[in-house]
Amino acid sequence: MTLAWTPFLEPMNALQPVWYLLLLPLVFGIAVIYRAIREENYSVYWRSVAIMTGQVVFGIVAIALALGLFVQFVIPLLNQP
Amino acid sequence: MKSNYNNHTPTTFNGAAIVLGWLVPGLGHVSIGQKRRGLLIMSGVLFLVFCGVLVGGIDAVDHKNDGLWFIAQVWCGPVVIGVDLLNQSLIAPLPAIEKAMLVGLSHANEMGTLFIAMAGLMNFVVLLDVLQAKKGDDFELRSESKERRTSQ
Repeated sequence: MTLAWTPFLEPMNALQPVWYLLLLPLVFGIAVIYRAIREENYSVYWRSVAIMTGQVVFGIVAIALALGLFVQFVIPLLNQP
Repeated sequence: MKSNYNNHTPTTFNGAAIVLGWLVPGLGHVSIGQKRRGLLIMSGVLFLVFCGVLVGGIDAVDHKNDGLWFIAQVWCGPVVIGVDLLNQSLIAPLPAIEKAMLVGLSHANEMGTLFIAMAGLMNFVVLLDVLQAKKGDDFELRSESKERRTSQ
């Protein structure tokens, strides 16, 4: 039996509808690298990775919500005669 | 912003560590005695590259069609050049109909490309860090040496 999808050769098109969830592993990977450079104490390393991941995800979600509200509500108000 | 370096200490130039850090991400830090830091950097960069190729396929690295992205991606080192070579040899020569199955479209391609580009840019930051990092200044030790320098 062969898989309909060949990992690494074919793109993972099944993720198209939920592409925004890929923000989590992306930010996690960046936080792992950045905190490895900046952190001075290993005992707090993974906690600071989790905090940085949460902060960046929260920031991007907040910006997305703000822009969504702006496009959905503020711009239609500006277009009214 | 906190700085890990004291202006009064003589600066070191770890040229070989930069080359090693580009060849295998994190190896630059390992070579100057920061083993734990280097292994964490290695796992982070390779995790992003793995995710990028998994999501976007090997077409996520393409120096011909995504040249600007490739400039960011190539900082990951030979692993990205290897993926690009695979892409150019396995996918690029195919006829358009067969190629359509293997080339990522829309978000799959965008996110795959972005993952690897972010890995490359982060490894560039890592190379800047290893440029003047002190030998053996691993976790804990880096803060101790900083305290020692400030107390002098």
